[in-house]
Amino acid sequence: MRRVVYLVIGAALFAGTAASAHHSYAATYDVSNEIKLDGKLVQFVYRNPHSFVHVQAPDSTGAQQRWAVEWAGTGQLAEAGVQRDTLKVGDGVVIVGRPSRVRGEYRALMVRLTRPADGFTWGGRAGQVVD
Amino acid sequence: MDNGFFRIGGRLLLAAAAICISIPALFAQGGPARTLIPPDIAGEWRLENSEDDTTAQPPLGDYTGIPFNEAGRLRSDTTAESIWGTPEYQCRPHSAPHQWRGLGGARILKEQDPLTRDVKAYHIQFMRSLDRPVFMDGRPHPPAWAPHTWTGFSTGEWVGNTLKITTTHLKDGYLKRGGPQTSDMYAMTEFLTRHGDVLSIITVIDDPLYLDEPYVHSTTYAYDPTASVAHEVCNSSAFAENGGTNRHWVPHFLPGENNARVEWLKDENWFPPEAALGGVKSVYPEYRTTLNGSAKVDTLRVPSSKSGFAIDKRIADQSPRDGQVHVLPVQGNIYMLVADGTNVAVSVGTEGVAVVNTASAQMSDKLLAAINQLANATVTPPAANNCFGATCAGTWGWSSPYINSVIASPAPAKPIRYIFNTSAAPEHVGGNEKLATSGFFPRGGGFGAAVANVGRGAAIVAHENVLNRMASPGPKQTAPPASAQPTDTYFDELHKLPNYFNGEAVVVYHAPAANTDGDSLVFFRRSEVIAAGNVFSTVSYPVIDVEKGGTIQGVIDGLNKIIDLAVPEYRAQGGTWVIPSRGRVSDTADVASYRNMVTMMRDRIQDLKGKGMTVAQVKAARPTLDFDGRYGATTGPWTTDMFVEAVYRTLQERK
Repeated sequence: MRRVVYLVIGAALFAGTAASAHHSYAATYDVSNEIKLDGKLVQFVYRNPHSFVHVQAPDSTGAQQRWAVEWAGTGQLAEAGVQRDTLKVGDGVVIVGRPSRVRGEYRALMVRLTRPADGFTWGGRAGQVVD
Repeated sequence: MDNGFFRIGGRLLLAAAAICISIPALFAQGGPARTLIPPDIAGEWRLENSEDDTTAQPPLGDYTGIPFNEAGRLRSDTTAESIWGTPEYQCRPHSAPHQWRGLGGARILKEQDPLTRDVKAYHIQFMRSLDRPVFMDGRPHPPAWAPHTWTGFSTGEWVGNTLKITTTHLKDGYLKRGGPQTSDMYAMTEFLTRHGDVLSIITVIDDPLYLDEPYVHSTTYAYDPTASVAHEVCNSSAFAENGGTNRHWVPHFLPGENNARVEWLKDENWFPPEAALGGVKSVYPEYRTTLNGSAKVDTLRVPSSKSGFAIDKRIADQSPRDGQVHVLPVQGNIYMLVADGTNVAVSVGTEGVAVVNTASAQMSDKLLAAINQLANATVTPPAANNCFGATCAGTWGWSSPYINSVIASPAPAKPIRYIFNTSAAPEHVGGNEKLATSGFFPRGGGFGAAVANVGRGAAIVAHENVLNRMASPGPKQTAPPASAQPTDTYFDELHKLPNYFNGEAVVVYHAPAANTDGDSLVFFRRSEVIAAGNVFSTVSYPVIDVEKGGTIQGVIDGLNKIIDLAVPEYRAQGGTWVIPSRGRVSDTADVASYRNMVTMMRDRIQDLKGKGMTVAQVKAARPTLDFDGRYGATTGPWTTDMFVEAVYRTLQERK
């Protein structure tokens, strides 16, 4: 069974501020922690100011949940080659993100997305940090 | 003395300097005479990030320089930033205190009178905003029962070369991004001064519910004709941001749960944690003496200023207990009549009048007079003649439309056809008899005249539990006469009028186990207005009559039902209007704000009860502290203690 893996990251905190976000990243997400979501993509909301990826993946108890993972805006994603049809419903994806600060909220901030089927990845390279 | 001391000292001095600059202007009486030609502030303006934390959010939990009181601090600590990802808030603009500080620049437009070329209004636009008019034509601010908006209602006047903008009717929001909250009752005063190509904006936020004195910040813009304010669109879906499958999810923290608020202090360990809590004394230079131990905060005296208005009066004015009936047009066919503080929704049209609730018996005569006056003025208004001669098309008249318009009297408006009772509460059914017997519902058709009482009186529609309670009110209570009791009851989850009324569908939804077991919501579908009854109030905690089947969860479900039915017009504002039992006309975001508050109270009391606390211990813990100034009461028919106890009891019974 796929599990959410909570990884406590002691250093390399996400220090940037959400200059263009309509909410505060640091206030919304626990930027000192990471979670790993291993599941299937159920929706790709490609939009501004930020896109969202919805993934059906298990929580820490193993129960399937619908997670909303906040991603970059369309401009920043386009620069990295991500288009509206880059991700498709049903794609198996592995996402590393910052969890919500609110207990029980199935929400995260995108750090890295990987699609094992073809090796597509986003995150970890220059310009591939949600800002 | 280390660098840290100088750094906090500097921050405190900056805050104090801002206050010293602006407060005299805020409270100045008069000021320099207006120049003949005030400076032109119209154009494109570029934000200069010269002030502290102009665009970036402060660290979570950093309330330095904010004159928070205990309630403001608790509200901020327990409000989760992701509340802004909920469907009702996703498309909102920045809160008014932060609008000038949001990215994207500002555009100021002039609206001129074509005849005099006077500036009637300035219109201010930001990247994520609604158009914000600042009226310069001397109009008064709306009554307290008028809606609140994200940008509020603004009027301006020139004081010398400074444009002073006064804003009221604002929704709740935040002082800065990332935590510090406002109530929905604050006033905002801005001072715009142009110095060449620089525009200085001093903003004074006066929120006595959460601040012990007005909070002041400044923002600077540079004139830039090459700039153009960007436009941020919003096309959010219900689950776009917060995840999960509960569209009514209310993210929040329990008191003491939000450890994130002190995270930043781990990295800024030079900073005194107590100063980060804010408070009126901490914004004055004298506060520094408490940091080196030479003075105590409790005994420290500072020259703090007071709020410019009485907050209790401002809240009460939404629901004036003045023995009068006030009329506010809402939308489409619907008007809100405030009858001695209790709201009555009235549909007026060519088919007659429908009223939702009838206020108290003492107000019946004035209410009926107001309804008749409104109906006659709306449906059969005097009209000037626009045609001369006997061939003019028109209604059948005396001799010709011309003569008819001069000497004929217009027909009276149709009578009250329907009365809807959203509950059996005396303040909602007290006028039933008077209003119903003044009305007429054509039940008899061609046969009615032969049967007594058929076709007499307006139909009274209610959930059947309302009739049950009115017909059998209990020991030592007298049932109202039959003419005051519901004639058309329903027992299902909803009830539709069988035909359009005044050109629209009217649907009544049951709100089970809310304030009682008989609550209804009445939805006028074309006018886009919902009369919410006792499920929603903007002046008190929800009344939960446990003995009559009320529960806290039923109230929350009822509020969520309203939210499900309602649709905002644009940017989380307007659209479907909601008339509460008492208080101001509201929209989806206002109902969501109230729902959020009620949900937070439920969860807090549930948490305390789950720890084994008795109801007395829960009351003593003051779980409602941050909302008591807004919705609480220590006297009267519905006190904060009664609310807490009702929540406690109904949670217990749900176990």
